[in-house]
Amino acid sequence: MSKGLIIGLVIAALVVFWGIGVRNGMATGNQEVAASWANVETAYQRRADLIPNLVKTVQGVANFEKGTLTDVINARASATQIKLDATDLSPENIQKYQAAQSQLSGSLSRLMAVAESYPQLKATENFSELQSQLEGTENRIKEERDRFNTTVKGFNNKIVTFPNSLVASFSGFTVKGYFQADAGASKAPAVDFGGAK
Amino acid sequence: MSRKLIIYFFFTVYCFLFTAILNAQDIPAKPNPPRLVNDFVMKLSPTELSSLEQKLKVYADTTSTQIAIVIVKTTGDSGPYDYAIKIAKDWGVGQKDKNNGLVLLWATETRKLRIVTGRGMEATITDAVSKRIINTILKPYFQGGQFYQGLDVATTEIMKRASGEFGADAQSDDDGSIIPFLVIIIIVIVFLVIAAKRGGGRNGGAGGFMGGWLGPIIFSSGGSSGWGGGSSGGGFGGFGGGDFGGGGAGGDY
Repeated sequence: MSKGLIIGLVIAALVVFWGIGVRNGMATGNQEVAASWANVETAYQRRADLIPNLVKTVQGVANFEKGTLTDVINARASATQIKLDATDLSPENIQKYQAAQSQLSGSLSRLMAVAESYPQLKATENFSELQSQLEGTENRIKEERDRFNTTVKGFNNKIVTFPNSLVASFSGFTVKGYFQADAGASKAPAVDFGGAK
Repeated sequence: MSRKLIIYFFFTVYCFLFTAILNAQDIPAKPNPPRLVNDFVMKLSPTELSSLEQKLKVYADTTSTQIAIVIVKTTGDSGPYDYAIKIAKDWGVGQKDKNNGLVLLWATETRKLRIVTGRGMEATITDAVSKRIINTILKPYFQGGQFYQGLDVATTEIMKRASGEFGADAQSDDDGSIIPFLVIIIIVIVFLVIAAKRGGGRNGGAGGFMGGWLGPIIFSSGGSSGWGGGSSGGGFGGFGGGDFGGGGAGGDY
């Protein structure tokens, strides 16, 4: 074997080892993103689980405005339909998911605003606790979304920079989506109970 | 006498500086030495302060659950939730592996109350429970101007609910670390025997070897249970780096 061949083989081996290392790093990052995505979904699920209870409580009040209530029920139905697999967190999918969820946020905050004008509802302990639970879930959603974004940022940075981007394209890792700040909801927890916060 | 005055003077200056920093926004710095009751507005008398601190410290020592009370004038531009959770996370209230911290924030000027619960506390101190504690305990007491009593009863309620969820920190540490500790001791003994055999009469060398090995081991074993042991001497041992996920509730009075 010639000296040149040996040097060439050594360099090739080094490159392969480097590639494997980088790929493993990306795979780990991918798992981290998947884990924090699971937390995001849990937080949203928690909110969806609260709604039947909320609806029941509100329905118990005589002549409660029906429109806002059906809005919430419909928005919940369409929001829970969209389930994203952790392997498919492309920017478009995240955007779709977020759109469905923020529609639910919007109809929920309208419902809570309407509920403010029913003193017999506001006075019940049950409703006040539901309010706080709802507020808590909104805070948890915000928290998990922030963490998800941070994890995704780390992952994306890893795969878009050169020369890692070469390894990423070989092994099929693509950029993942972020949650955007909700339009018109810069004061993040969208449900505001006037002083309850 | 004059020395007391000087100390008092510096303390006042320190407090003024502190409120100035506070007003410039952001949350108060992590207390040093660590304290569980942090009254930046001087709403509580020194006796009330120390009895609350003592109560929370004993609870933290025995259960490892850290309940911190923070009293500020206002929460500035941010809402009580954002303010409270920032304090909770930055200070790291609760243990790192258990996330069993809780922060009770009271903004005196805006009359706001906020409880934020660590991730590990969410099962026992749910949002609804936090709300109930604020509405049925803190609110009535605070409206009657009985601030200390309110805080006292509220923390008792929190303790009652959280009890049994977590054990003392030192206990769980011991359970896990006794086997690796034994392994290390055996390795050290084997090393010493080999060294003694090789070195023959060089006892001095073996002794130095032993000192070099055992020193850090003893030291590190002391360090791992350090915050439990250290705190028995007097003050609270320090926050453990607990994490918060958005649980809790708020209200005003």
